[in-house]
Amino acid sequence: MNKIRSWLRRTTQLVAALAVASTALPAFAQAQAVNAYSIWPENWARPMFEEFEKATGIKVNFVRFSSGEALARVIAEKNNPRVDVLFGGPVETFAAGIAEGVFESYKPPSFGKLPERFRHADGQWVAIADDPLVFMTNNKFLKESNLQPPASWNDLLHPAYKNMLQMADARTSGTAVTRIFSILEVNGRDENKAFAYMKQLRPNVQLYTKSGGGGTLPVGLGQAGGGIFFIVDALDTKAKGYDVSVSFPKEGIGTAAEAIALLKGAKNPEAGKKLIDWASSPAMQNHFAKYKINFVPAHPDVQLEPSLAAVLQGAKIFPIDAAYAGANRKRVVDRWIAEVLNP
Amino acid sequence: MSAPPPAAVAAAGVSERLRADPGLALAVAALWLLLGLFVLYPLVMLLGRVFIDNGQFTLQGLAAVLTDRHQLQAFWNSLLLGTLVGLVGTVLGFAFAFTATRCNLPRWIVGLIDIAVLLPLVSPPFTTAIGYIFSFGPRGLITYGVLGIKGVTVYGMTSTLTAESLTYFPIAYLTLRPMLAAIDSNIEGMALSLGASRWRVFRTVTLPLCTPGLANAFLLLFAASLADFATPLILAGNQFPVLPTQAYLQITGLFDLRGGAALSLVLLVPALIVFLVQRYWVGRRQYVTVTGKGAGQAPFDSVNRTVRWLLVGFCVAVTLLILWLYALLLYASLVVAFGANHTFTLAHYRVVFTEGMRAVRDTLIIAAFATPLGGFYGVLLGYLVARRRFPGRNAMELTSMINYALPGTIVGIAYLIAFNDPPIMITGTAAIIIAAYVFRYGPTGIRTTVALLQQVDRSLEEASQGLGATSGTTFRRITLPLILPAFFAGLGVVFIRSMTAISATIFLVSISWTLVTVKILENLTELALGPAAAFSVLVVAIVFVVIFLIGRVLRRLRAPGTLPVTGLLST
Repeated sequence: MNKIRSWLRRTTQLVAALAVASTALPAFAQAQAVNAYSIWPENWARPMFEEFEKATGIKVNFVRFSSGEALARVIAEKNNPRVDVLFGGPVETFAAGIAEGVFESYKPPSFGKLPERFRHADGQWVAIADDPLVFMTNNKFLKESNLQPPASWNDLLHPAYKNMLQMADARTSGTAVTRIFSILEVNGRDENKAFAYMKQLRPNVQLYTKSGGGGTLPVGLGQAGGGIFFIVDALDTKAKGYDVSVSFPKEGIGTAAEAIALLKGAKNPEAGKKLIDWASSPAMQNHFAKYKINFVPAHPDVQLEPSLAAVLQGAKIFPIDAAYAGANRKRVVDRWIAEVLNP
Repeated sequence: MSAPPPAAVAAAGVSERLRADPGLALAVAALWLLLGLFVLYPLVMLLGRVFIDNGQFTLQGLAAVLTDRHQLQAFWNSLLLGTLVGLVGTVLGFAFAFTATRCNLPRWIVGLIDIAVLLPLVSPPFTTAIGYIFSFGPRGLITYGVLGIKGVTVYGMTSTLTAESLTYFPIAYLTLRPMLAAIDSNIEGMALSLGASRWRVFRTVTLPLCTPGLANAFLLLFAASLADFATPLILAGNQFPVLPTQAYLQITGLFDLRGGAALSLVLLVPALIVFLVQRYWVGRRQYVTVTGKGAGQAPFDSVNRTVRWLLVGFCVAVTLLILWLYALLLYASLVVAFGANHTFTLAHYRVVFTEGMRAVRDTLIIAAFATPLGGFYGVLLGYLVARRRFPGRNAMELTSMINYALPGTIVGIAYLIAFNDPPIMITGTAAIIIAAYVFRYGPTGIRTTVALLQQVDRSLEEASQGLGATSGTTFRRITLPLILPAFFAGLGVVFIRSMTAISATIFLVSISWTLVTVKILENLTELALGPAAAFSVLVVAIVFVVIFLIGRVLRRLRAPGTLPVTGLLST
């Protein structure tokens, strides 16, 4: 019994010691810092934030979340925001945030230079990059099935793809919403025609994934034959060494902007604004090429990196009409859930 | 002070009993305060979000769920999956526990089984699911590579059931093994020498004595499956939606907090029903096997040779399957890009020990707090509800189960809503993550303690109190040694979960405190399979080392006259 008691005493001492140690730990007495939720993956966000610190001396403390998780947190923390800036992520996430009133309008110096679709009229968000969709297919699968990389939306209906495609779920992913609106565009916004196509495609879809890039690894590994993804995710898969092809449909495919916004009630608004100034300008977007981040820059003064330009050569890419998408998003997604996902 | 004799205790009024025993009153008050703060308060705040819109009461959120055909389908799917996982996992857990305690196997084989069984428990749940896809998917190493089957459908109920059963059956093993070990084998020996067949002894003696444990294991597995969102997220696909995943998607995908919370409330109902049924069923039977009258334990041959080999063979087969899945994980952590470039590299571990180090440190600090707190909380609450009489005893046990039964996503969101504003602002701190772990995983310790105490005769404690000891002394000197196995099982589970859980805490990590599991999920979504695997291997290694150390301490603690401290942690 004495042993138990001495053991318990030792444990208590350990806990006490740790309690003291841990209170000392978060004492980062930074001169100036900005806190952010990043929707961009850490391997892209980290080098950007390090460049920002180098340029301005302001340190960025950040955590990475998927767009849905980040927005859910921002909404839950509305009365007492824990971060200053929401960084990266598709514009439609930001549109949902505006509806919840979580952002503070701010127009950075680049605002006037940005094309209209790369900025919210009141400055609730501004774009930092553009991200077109692509078809990505596994080369081994193509060879086994005697297929060329798909060059038309109708190529994906080929029976060889039966149960072999993976793409994002419209309930959770902006990638999927962009895909559905692309299909609407190429069908001249004829909803019945577009949904007829999606229903026809359904048997070929093995899985609708939670995140936009969720299917890239299965396609890389050959668990799936192909899918529709954002170009950053597709080219990243290729760069990792997976044997995949990237192709575009001749009918055209949509692109979505990536944005940044200041949060209402931010504790470090000045530092946050500096981050937005920097991210929406060539200062940041010139670094995309250096770190092999295959986003298309949003700022018109930034040159497209040559190898990315080569991939995009001849591709027919159109922006999704924000007003049309905004007005119809909920209805279209609901219809997709009812008719395509759970017929 | 001197306590009244047992007969008088039963007759005395409960409130009088509380007054007569200030220690008990204090413990009960403290526990209610904690439960109120960390279980009820967040739940009420969450309910507010579901049922109150602009200051008006509304049933719209709930009605939307109950009238939607797909959500109802997901509800039935969840019940079906939970029941099946409960059954399969309990059978698996019992088979392993029985094999480990009753087959007279050499120590090292039992040790090996213990290690293999631990693996699914000590890694984030989605790692089993991913190993499963690598092995049994359309291009799986086994289905396609070895068997050459084309076009396998991996997504659906069968896969989810298999992966969840493999992931959660160790909970059943943890619950059942100390219990089987605690059953006095003399009883079985006596039944055998009175002429009963081995099968009859098993059916009429061993199995009924295990009933509280079996019921308990089923409940824990059912609840775990009901709350698990990671496995279905990866394996259920689109044909087999389940509620926790739907709730998670509703919140993170459709930004619909109200809908997600409503879905989770629907989920709480079956969890509570199973809990009540189990209580009623178990509560009616007598399971005393540890009495004050001590007797030496004689070794007893529970099974004949054939059955023994069947059992051992079955356990070995399951063990090999688990080891295979984790060998894949280790392999993926050591090659450049699994599936594309199989050149050996240590680069992924370099990432873990540089960029990833902060997450590792944070996770360890948080686990170091949550583990002792959770273990103590579990045993104290379990002991009070199983042994002491005070007002609101059942309500307390029920309340303590809420955070365990609710899907982690909802607990996380509820904590985020409740603790971001005054009066208690602890979001962004380590405390909120620690609290989430203690109140979410402590219930394993509670259930184990209750089940174990149902096997221990009250006369031991009553004798102590009759001799004048206070309830505190009785607890420390008599009950604590008897329930030590449960305490350490609870401790182990809280530590393991602190290292591996994600569903609740993904909402609670902050720029100051992050967790390894969040890193793993993040790496998986970034296609960085290598670092994800390396982080997972590290977690498994840390948990093994700590559990080994706890086991060493435990073995030294083992004093003559107390229950043998067996179970998982003494390997």
